[in-house]
Amino acid sequence: MPETIDSITASVIQGALENIAVEMGHKLMRMSYSSIIRESEDFGAALVDAEGRGLAESAQSTPLQSGPIPGYVRGILKTLAARGDGVRPGDVIMHNDAYAGASHGPDVGFAVPVFHDGNLVAFAATTAHHLDIGALSPGSCGIVDAIDAFAEGLQFKAIKVYDRGARNDAVWQLLRDNIRVSDLVVGDMEAQIAAARIGAERLAALIVRHGYRRFRAACGAVMDYAERLMRQAITALPDGEYRAETRIDGFADSPDPTKRHLPIVATVKVKGDEIKVDLTGTAPQVPDRPINMPFEGTVDVAVWLTIRSVLLDTAVRGHIPVNDGLLRPIKITAPPGTLANPVFPAPTIARFCTGNAVADTVMKALAQAVPGQVSAGIGNLKVIAFSGMREIGHWVHMEIFEGSYGGRNGTDGMDAVDTLYANTRNNPIEDIETHLPLRVSRYELREKACGAGEWRGGLGSVREFEYLVDGGASVEADGHEFAPWAFSGGAQGRPAELHFLRRDGSAQPLPSKVPHMHVEAGDRFVCIGPAGGGYGDPLRRNPALVRDDVADGVVSAAAAQEEYGVVLLASGEVDAARTERLRREMEAARGC
Amino acid sequence: MQLVGVDVGGTFTDIVFADTDTRQNLIHKVPTTPDDPARGVIAGITELCARHGLARDAIDHVLHGTTIGTNAVLEHNGTVTGLITTKGYRDIVHIGRHQRPQHYSIRQEVPWQNRPLARRRHRLTVAERVVPPRGEELVPLDEAAVREAARALRDAGVEAVAVCFLFSYLNPAHEMRAAELVREEWPEAFICTSAGVSPQFREFERFTTALLNAFVGPRLKAYVERLDRGLGEAGLAADLHVMCSNGGVATASTVAKSPVLTLLSGPAAGVLGGAWSGGLSDRRDLITFDVGGTSADIGIAVDGRFAEATARDTWIGGFPLLAPMIDIHTIGAGGGSIAYIDEGGAFRVGPRSAGADPGPAAYGRGGREPTVTDANLILGRLDPDNFLGGAMALDVDASRCVVGALAGRLGLSLEAAAEGILTIVNANMANAISSRTVQKGLDPRDFVLVAFGGAGPLHGAEVARALGIPEVVIPAYPGITSAVGLLTTDLKYDAVRTEFQIGAGIDLDRLNGDFAAMRDELARQLAADGVAPRDTAFERAGDLRYLGQGYELRVPFPAASLDKAALTAVCERFESLHRAEYGHVFPDSPIEIVNIRVTGIGRMAKIAAPRSAEDGSLAAALLKTAPCAFRLGDRLETLATPFYRREALPRDEPVSGPAIVLQTDSTTVVPPGITLRADRGGNLILRPET
Repeated sequence: MPETIDSITASVIQGALENIAVEMGHKLMRMSYSSIIRESEDFGAALVDAEGRGLAESAQSTPLQSGPIPGYVRGILKTLAARGDGVRPGDVIMHNDAYAGASHGPDVGFAVPVFHDGNLVAFAATTAHHLDIGALSPGSCGIVDAIDAFAEGLQFKAIKVYDRGARNDAVWQLLRDNIRVSDLVVGDMEAQIAAARIGAERLAALIVRHGYRRFRAACGAVMDYAERLMRQAITALPDGEYRAETRIDGFADSPDPTKRHLPIVATVKVKGDEIKVDLTGTAPQVPDRPINMPFEGTVDVAVWLTIRSVLLDTAVRGHIPVNDGLLRPIKITAPPGTLANPVFPAPTIARFCTGNAVADTVMKALAQAVPGQVSAGIGNLKVIAFSGMREIGHWVHMEIFEGSYGGRNGTDGMDAVDTLYANTRNNPIEDIETHLPLRVSRYELREKACGAGEWRGGLGSVREFEYLVDGGASVEADGHEFAPWAFSGGAQGRPAELHFLRRDGSAQPLPSKVPHMHVEAGDRFVCIGPAGGGYGDPLRRNPALVRDDVADGVVSAAAAQEEYGVVLLASGEVDAARTERLRREMEAARGC
Repeated sequence: MQLVGVDVGGTFTDIVFADTDTRQNLIHKVPTTPDDPARGVIAGITELCARHGLARDAIDHVLHGTTIGTNAVLEHNGTVTGLITTKGYRDIVHIGRHQRPQHYSIRQEVPWQNRPLARRRHRLTVAERVVPPRGEELVPLDEAAVREAARALRDAGVEAVAVCFLFSYLNPAHEMRAAELVREEWPEAFICTSAGVSPQFREFERFTTALLNAFVGPRLKAYVERLDRGLGEAGLAADLHVMCSNGGVATASTVAKSPVLTLLSGPAAGVLGGAWSGGLSDRRDLITFDVGGTSADIGIAVDGRFAEATARDTWIGGFPLLAPMIDIHTIGAGGGSIAYIDEGGAFRVGPRSAGADPGPAAYGRGGREPTVTDANLILGRLDPDNFLGGAMALDVDASRCVVGALAGRLGLSLEAAAEGILTIVNANMANAISSRTVQKGLDPRDFVLVAFGGAGPLHGAEVARALGIPEVVIPAYPGITSAVGLLTTDLKYDAVRTEFQIGAGIDLDRLNGDFAAMRDELARQLAADGVAPRDTAFERAGDLRYLGQGYELRVPFPAASLDKAALTAVCERFESLHRAEYGHVFPDSPIEIVNIRVTGIGRMAKIAAPRSAEDGSLAAALLKTAPCAFRLGDRLETLATPFYRREALPRDEPVSGPAIVLQTDSTTVVPPGITLRADRGGNLILRPET
């Protein structure tokens, strides 16, 4: 008979769980070496119960990292059971199996079990995106020509790096021998373990303080609570089926039509207090290119992220605990053999942008049900791995390039930010240039290219990287071929671009996926970020806002007239009479 | 020496007078004058002097805490501000770190985009560029473009300008020259440079700090000058000093130039006052716990000193701020925190607050939601007839009504619901303290909790018990600790330089040279403030990390010139701090010195320990005995509880809980199992019964 728990104790234990998760994240971020973890914050920390149900996650980690952690733990338990092994005190288990819960290979998880009275009761676990995982070219992004899971680098299927407290030296040697910049990567892994161990220690103490039965009951209550919130939010939606489709570039330069311009389809079925998300219609898997998405670890997180952000928007609803309960009312299906549910050993390492497109497509579907709570189409992201050799060995740097949000009900889209399930940070120019042979030669907003609307889409960015020495690069991006979608009478946004400028002045446009290429000193990448879609009719935009955009140099005076019907005086102020007349004419012209 | 401390709060302006020779300390309160707080300050000092027959012109120093700059940022009504920056980087302050403040939100605001400190039309670029490692010039400064930008901003109605160039922390020459050119074109503008405000790497954060300085500059400058003038006109010859975020004070003229120094000063004086009170009872390892109506401020002092927040953790109004600040953690938990059942059915308290208006239901000003104060009143811990010394009668029925409605929905008795409110808010406070101690490798059981603010003494004992903290100190005047704290400060200026020097390759001559130059610069500033050399002190420190990490730890450096052995000792100290903070070290990794810092201190006269009051007796102090509810294990019990008047308590005589101690500005709760003692330092000391 499960113990019942009073609401006061439940509230106290929930606060304590979140405090532990935050501490884990704080320590991991501050101890770690590679900028992808410490600056980009591409890491996760969470507490999970013995059945693999998420109890709490650290607030500062990126959703795509913390979200999958319960899946990592379930994958570990299943993998160990299949081998006839189990979990014992003192174990530290490493895992990155994209077909058993992991988000993708470079996101290595470390789980530390928590025991109480000799029984396994929970895990504290951390994940982080590692700089290199021993794939075919330096860095762990832009491995866009991996032909199968084996080409993506090392695969860890529930490997005990500590077995009952004893360090497994052979595994650590294997890591050092097979990973580039292994000092950084191994240092980060040690930081992950240290943070997970602290979490496990604190969680064990919390359980002792309250007693296991009360702790269990409180966890149950906290999960039930989150579930109730999600069910209530879903109940407020009109029942129905909402289908949306978007397209990704895939490999736009491929002669093979099954590799480019691929559909992502989401049908959101709302009934009562439950949502089913069906990804049927999404393109078949690409069997020999790594843009397939692990169903568990990427697709599920992309779907939850969007539903959660739209229905239980933090800015509107305040803090909501993230745990297993939030996920219970949501069922996700995708036919096996598709991009959204690939079959082993289809490669998955470059699934980042495909997954973000799933998140965007789910929002496009939800837009039909809750038009006031969404943004118009969101610009996808870009990651470049910069690398080269120095006397002391490799240097590798990964930079994530921002997208932007579409216009929103009552406000413009967010400019030049990370989007949807990714929420990382850029690296300061003053840090990059001090520590790497790179120069950031420009970082500004993209001018005069945005999705017009009553609430216009967010602006993209322009960022240029110049090499000061010879080296190499690889690129993993999407959104060069298709503009972010418009909503409710707005105009669509602008696609992203990438240009390679050689030292000799020649320029070459690049597609969104570029396998490792040679770069010479003086060569430059010019990265032009996408601009989000417009929301609502541009002719209804407050002319004063158009005037401000022109004054700020982000919309041209010509576009103010052509797209918004706003005429400005030489002073920059709105010519109200001519604006009203022009808008009437433009509206009339639409009627025919 | 005669000192006056003035702290301007939302409702009251508190004034403390201290004569360091006679040890006479006096306090006074006047209403705050929000349209121009200077009026209230001057009126308060004048009144206090008149009431006690003090000569105004005998006052040596006036120390003042102001939130004028802070409020301008929080309310986003600073001056029209312009930015002149490096060509190609116009939008560093708009893109920021390209991270959204919230993970799970479509409709969120991005503060630096929705509330820009300088709009894009007022962000102009000029050709120039310096580069690492030493700030070499890559592109010369286009001086004509600077002049043109200055004129354009002036003509556009801008009033303050920040000049912000990349890598200026390595080589500020371009920034300084550009500022000079702007001043030539436009002498009346408020001008600052990013390296002048905070010469540290990370361009978004440094540029934003410079913009904040410009944004609040003209207003704060005008205020300080008005106040200084007003004091003179009121017959005060005293020097005016203003509280800064770093826990020191600065002269009025320094603050007028660098208003950014004050932006996070609000809670600083309070924690200093708390630490001073702890010191009166010889307590040096302290957790200060300042609980007001809306929030609780938590500070940690080890051996009487507060740590400084790391530069990556200091924010104001959603903007990052690279300015030295005492490490103070604020959470939304106080007497006005509202208890509610949220949409998922969970029982929550705060962070939303009823504030002072309408305030808790008990205030009878129309508050309709149950608050922490209402819970305290229902349980009998607040005396309805003795709140604020009887100045405000509390309405128990109103509290019962609102808490009763909540209890009904929770299926609890009135008392159980009220006690639940306190349990939850106390747990929130304990979690916050835990995050500042346990998470940093400090054991709260080695500390003393100094509880103050109007509501701190109500909660201190139970919060301490939840954390295993063995002792609680309640200062003599818990409600005016900020004004007292102002009289415990020194002049304090900080200098910082980014070094990026690594392990075996560290250039000791360069380090020593930089340290010496920074010290000389601070010495000049202190001399200009009229501090005698014998009253100055200098402290050195560095921000260190393992090469490759992104977060630094602050490590003290020896005062003398560094040699190899001293450097090794510094690195060892870093390792031990790293172990304490993170529970881990990387013995094979090289260590990088990121920044070096010097703090220059000009010692000032301070408030003295109060003269001991007359000794009282328990019988004389006993006001009444009334029922109060307390949790004993799993049961809630109502116990006959004595209420004492604080000023009449005998010294060093133990009083067993349950007991309640009343005074004008606060109420102290002594739960069962806790013993209270009034000590010679003027504090109340609460400890578990042995």
